[in-house]
Amino acid sequence: MTPGVPLLFSAACLLGGVVCGPRRARTWLALTLAGAAGALGAALLVLGGAPDWEWRHGFAVGGETLHFRLDGLSALFLALLGLVAGTGAIYAQEYWPEAHYPASAPGGRSWWCGLVLGMGLVLVSANGLHFLIAWELFTVCAFFLITLDRQRREVRKAGWLYLAASHAGTVCLFAFFATLAARTGSWEIGPLRGRLDCAPLFWLALAGFGVKAGLFPLHIWLPAAHAGAPSHVSAILSAVAVKMGVYGLIRFSGWLPAPAAAGWVVTGLGAVSALFGIAFALAQNDLKRLLAYCTVENVGIILTGLGAAMLGAAHGDAPWGRLALAGALLHVWNHGAVKALLFFGAGSVLHATGTREMSRLGGLWRAMPWTASLFALGAVAIAGLPPLNGFVSEWLVCLGLFDAATRPGPSAWAATPAAMVLAVAGALALATFAKAAAIVFLGAARTRSAEHAHECGALMRGPMLALAALCLALGLAPVWFWPAIARAAGAWNPAWAGREPPAPLAILGPLQGMLALLAVAAAAGLWWKSRANGWRRGLTWDCGYAHPSARMQYTSGSFAGIAAGWFGWLLRPERRIRRPRGPLPAAASWMERVPETVLERVLGPAGRALLRLSSAARRLQHGRVQAYILYVVAGLLAVGTLVLLGGMP
Amino acid sequence: MTLILDLLPRFALWFVLAPLLPGIINKVKAWVAGRRGPPVLQLYYDLARLWRKGVVLSTLASPGFVFGPAVAWVAVMGAALLLPLGPAGGAPGFRGDMLVLIYLLALARFGTAWAAMETGSAFEGMGVAREVSYAVLAEAALITAMLALCVQTGSTSLAAMLAPAAGADAALLAAGLFVVLLAENCRVPFDDPNTHLELTMIHEVMVLDHSGPPLAVILHGASVKLLLFALLLTEAVLPVGKLAPGVAAAALAGGVLAVTVGAGLVESLLARLAFRRVPLLLTTAFLLCLFALLMAWKGGA
Repeated sequence: MTPGVPLLFSAACLLGGVVCGPRRARTWLALTLAGAAGALGAALLVLGGAPDWEWRHGFAVGGETLHFRLDGLSALFLALLGLVAGTGAIYAQEYWPEAHYPASAPGGRSWWCGLVLGMGLVLVSANGLHFLIAWELFTVCAFFLITLDRQRREVRKAGWLYLAASHAGTVCLFAFFATLAARTGSWEIGPLRGRLDCAPLFWLALAGFGVKAGLFPLHIWLPAAHAGAPSHVSAILSAVAVKMGVYGLIRFSGWLPAPAAAGWVVTGLGAVSALFGIAFALAQNDLKRLLAYCTVENVGIILTGLGAAMLGAAHGDAPWGRLALAGALLHVWNHGAVKALLFFGAGSVLHATGTREMSRLGGLWRAMPWTASLFALGAVAIAGLPPLNGFVSEWLVCLGLFDAATRPGPSAWAATPAAMVLAVAGALALATFAKAAAIVFLGAARTRSAEHAHECGALMRGPMLALAALCLALGLAPVWFWPAIARAAGAWNPAWAGREPPAPLAILGPLQGMLALLAVAAAAGLWWKSRANGWRRGLTWDCGYAHPSARMQYTSGSFAGIAAGWFGWLLRPERRIRRPRGPLPAAASWMERVPETVLERVLGPAGRALLRLSSAARRLQHGRVQAYILYVVAGLLAVGTLVLLGGMP
Repeated sequence: MTLILDLLPRFALWFVLAPLLPGIINKVKAWVAGRRGPPVLQLYYDLARLWRKGVVLSTLASPGFVFGPAVAWVAVMGAALLLPLGPAGGAPGFRGDMLVLIYLLALARFGTAWAAMETGSAFEGMGVAREVSYAVLAEAALITAMLALCVQTGSTSLAAMLAPAAGADAALLAAGLFVVLLAENCRVPFDDPNTHLELTMIHEVMVLDHSGPPLAVILHGASVKLLLFALLLTEAVLPVGKLAPGVAAAALAGGVLAVTVGAGLVESLLARLAFRRVPLLLTTAFLLCLFALLMAWKGGA
């Protein structure tokens, strides 16, 4: 079967979903699931070995005839889109039901289909103009989904910030596609590896797609939007929408000849994003903001891999470049699956307790065992620990970097620091997710709402289980997924096509499986032994303190204190401290907030300074004719003086 | 099958020999202080006793309280089995296994951290926060040391990296790795295994609430980790891979003994550092490894 059939079916279903979304919830769900399945099926067909799908039609949109193409690279992203679109739609049934949100749920359904349709079109468009139209479509749909809960002020603010930042990026993309079309004489996009004159355009693409991808320091919109949006929307934003920017970067770094410095810059930006993203994540006290900053980190890892691949391609298609690219591509899937799982888990916590503030939670494992264990699995995976999937892709990227570092040559100078930064980022990610999972789910409940939490229902649990199963499969049997990755890598650089997996990957799979098996066996064995020896429950020992209370536990802020302190120069936490004073101290308090530094300390002041300058300039315009005449005379005199002095011909 | 036959004796070796090291350190400390000290085999007795004892669980703890130590132990054991023993051969040596080793140690850290956070005790929270934070710097130093070895040998598999002797940078690398060993295993000057003041501890405070078999598993895992770092340091410096099997085994044993005695001497002669100095020392270790890396680069060019 040609992939076109499921694709057209999927598009028709999604269009139907847009139309019937507001009225018929059940029909909408069926259509969305069918659409997601169609997209997934088409992508899997191509990744499984079907030839690239190409389709032209004389029908013109905006003066350009239709031209669609689905190759290995776009299929890789399309599969992720289908997966998250389907699971998210099921999740939303329980998370954002019409009974609780009569005003926003119906519209939300239509926007969901619009978003999925827009992203799908971005992936299959082979025409620059249609790419831009689809890009705008999904950007706008995402705006309405982010602001579903628009009664809250912070959500409206986050939505506007997202819209403004996205359009700043879109401006760059307009310039990029228009210049490309002007140079090549056609809006069609495709491999242009020989057109060396197009190389500088890569910088425009980097800026435009970098905003969407959340590359540091262009990530300013990301934390607020992810935190404010409903959780199923956060999941698709982080797992797929952000990846559209990554897709653009991978796509056009493969199709266009890259400037000589591009590999260096992308590696460097990726490493910086990874390190700073995770440093910000560690310091957050809001669970969803923490996950959002972690997205910045993971995009950084992907782009480090891409940068190394570009360096490898520039140095005679070195094999280590292929490893790094494979790692980056696999990380797109891994991060997509894990982050959707984690946002679903965070949504489940929010659903049950009504707060995202980690220091108000705690001890949730008792009430929510499913959510707790699935979130823990996601935490292990995203921290890049074996035997789960995050490790496989990080390992491939790191292996590529290490291989590059051991070969003499200029690429070693980029690869060595990048490998060190990724190692530090990995250790910080461990700290971040040990904190997130432990503060939220372990210990004692810190507030009443955490005490009265309840487990989520089957419709929220099912999608999480499916994603967790995928994470396990990706981790334990990476070789199964290798043909798909190899296909996508071949679409990026034909010299790296070839289906055989790199030798170490074939060993890693069984090794991970063995590790998982042994871990489960050891856990079961220790459990059995402890029970056989006899156990009794008692108060936490706490060095003999007889009345430990939930408020005495370590909080999210105190947990992160040491490592976040090292990044104080970057994070600039705002503290409001009231210390206890005197022999009978009054109430004391300590409040700490980590601002979005780039937005609040750089862009904000710069914007305000610009506004001040502008309003100062407005004083010149006051309507007094005498003064205007004075301006003219002064101007004339100045020009005259210049001429007299011979400054001008 | 052959793989399992190869792994089993090595597993047994690690399993049996590891608890010896803390005993040696304690003996050295006692000797320096002029005491008789506990027997060298004390940890074996402790482990055997703990394994038979019952367990007290915190009312707050979930099953993860028991699963965490088990996972951590498996991870440390896995990392140990990845380490080649000179001519005795490495297990499934493959490209990039040194990254697997580092990440397995990270998994072990996650397991113990998870178990410690189960109790909701502020002391344990404090210990975990310190453990995961200092690990950031220790991991940077460790990966830099690995990079130096990789650059030196042009390989990314442990068996090839650790076979030849370290070059001119051996002293730098040894010093850096020794500091990492002290930090990762929570020895003086980073942590004091003998202290009884909870506010000043890292590792000990994380296991305050553990008892019985889970505590035995944690203590055994910690001793395996100590042996792992001592062996890594020895193999990084000595040309173990170039020696005859008998000589290599003697060299490994001697090296591990020297490192262990060194740790004991450090413990006897130094005081624990103030916590705000800890990052400084770890950064120094990182710099030592970085200079080793630069020297390796210079040597290769």
